[in-house]
Order: sequence, then C-alpha cells, then structure tokens
Amino acid sequence: MFERFTKDARAVVLGAVEHAERMGAETVEEGHLLLSLLDREGSRGSFALASLGLDRQKESVKEALAEVRRRGGLSRADADALSGLGIDVAEIVSRVEETHGVGALGGDKKDKRWWSGHRTFTRGAKDTLEKSLRIAVGRRDRHIGDEHILLALTVLPGVAAEALADHGVTYETVTRVLYGGGEAKAG
Amino acid sequence: MTEATDLAERAGDRDPRIGLRAVSALRRLLEQLEAVQVRSARNQGWSWQEIAAELGVSRQAVHKKYGRQ
Repeated sequence: MFERFTKDARAVVLGAVEHAERMGAETVEEGHLLLSLLDREGSRGSFALASLGLDRQKESVKEALAEVRRRGGLSRADADALSGLGIDVAEIVSRVEETHGVGALGGDKKDKRWWSGHRTFTRGAKDTLEKSLRIAVGRRDRHIGDEHILLALTVLPGVAAEALADHGVTYETVTRVLYGGGEAKAG
Repeated sequence: MTEATDLAERAGDRDPRIGLRAVSALRRLLEQLEAVQVRSARNQGWSWQEIAAELGVSRQAVHKKYGRQ
C-alpha cells in the first residue's frame, strides 16, 4: 500500500511518528496524523486546509487535540456514551489530575523513557491509512496523497474528525475545495 | 411468552451502538487509569510483585506491560 503514497503522504506518516515520539506517546494515533498534516506546506492537503481557513487556526486545532489527550484520548462521542452510564469523564480527569498532576491521564510523562522503543500505529491510525487508500481508489486517483489522508480523517469517527469538524473541515467541505461542489460521499 | 417478547422489545429500544461504544470507551479509560496508578506506584518504590497483587494479575503480566524502560 505504501508504494502508492506520494511524497507528501509519506511525510505525513513519518511526521506523525515524530509527533508521537516528541510527546512521549506509546502509540501513533489519528491525532498525530492530523498534527503532522498541519505541518505540511505546498501539498494538496495543506491547500485544502488553507482554503478552509485552517492555516490560521492551527493553534486552535492543536489545543483541541491537547484537550482530548488530557481526557485520556476519549472523543466527545466516547464521553457522551460514558455519561449515559453515569460516568463523568471530566470529573475523573480532574480527580486524577488533583493527585497525579495536570495531563496525568493523557500520559504526559515527566520521564520520556517510560514509553521508549518502537511505536505501533493504533487501530484508528491504521484505519485512517486504509481509508485513505479506499478513498483514492474510489476517486480513481492513481496515488494516495495527503489530501486522501485528510479526507479519511474527516470521515472516520474519532478525535481528529471531531477537531476538524469543529473548525469547519468535513468530508463535504474538503471535497468541495479540492474537486468542486456537489460530490457524493466516497465509499 | 408475551412478557418475554415485551422484555426483548424494550431491550431492543436501546441502540446497542451507544452501549458498545460506552464499553469500548470505558476500556480505554481503564487502561489510562491503570497506567497512571502503576507509574505512581513505581515512583513510590513499589515492586512489580506488590503492584501485581493489588491488580489481581501475575507479576509477569504487569512487568511485561509496563516494565520496559
């Protein structure tokens, strides 16, 4: 699959690993893919994000992802589902932080060696890359570019999709700026 | 018979996706909480044996999961 990735798409994947390493995260997640995508310049994906005004809102997206990390990587939909069971995620986060410090649940390690070693991609991150392939195939694009990774991030439910949607970046808006209006959703 | 059907119908009213998502989210939350507590115990000088005993798992299991430094 990776031989069909463009230089930009590969850079997004490698950048995601670097983001995970820098944060001392054990695994590479969709959030890291999104952070890496925000770093790109002059690519199809960065063009789409800039067209939607996200180049000026990078910090806001990063803050949204940091907030998710703080509650242990749970998306808003996860937190809502847990609240249905009577579990208040915000309350748990605040109790844990009282005892163990801010960011404790997100795995902010004072000692970065705690999670040293090889980083694997989470199920969600793997799904994102597979979905980007399927979207490219569905569009009959011969290569998988970072714009396909962006589309995959918007379409798979999770923390990245929520952060993007909060900033007006959805499958529909991205396809509109990339390919023009009125497109049906790809498989 | 009708009572059983009623019960089945009522249970079916709830969207299983919500419940399943809650379980999955809870599992992830649990993993995070465990990591926080194990790290804290290690920082306070607890042995893997002591941590394992409290968690109700084998020493090998907890060391394999958190032991690589």
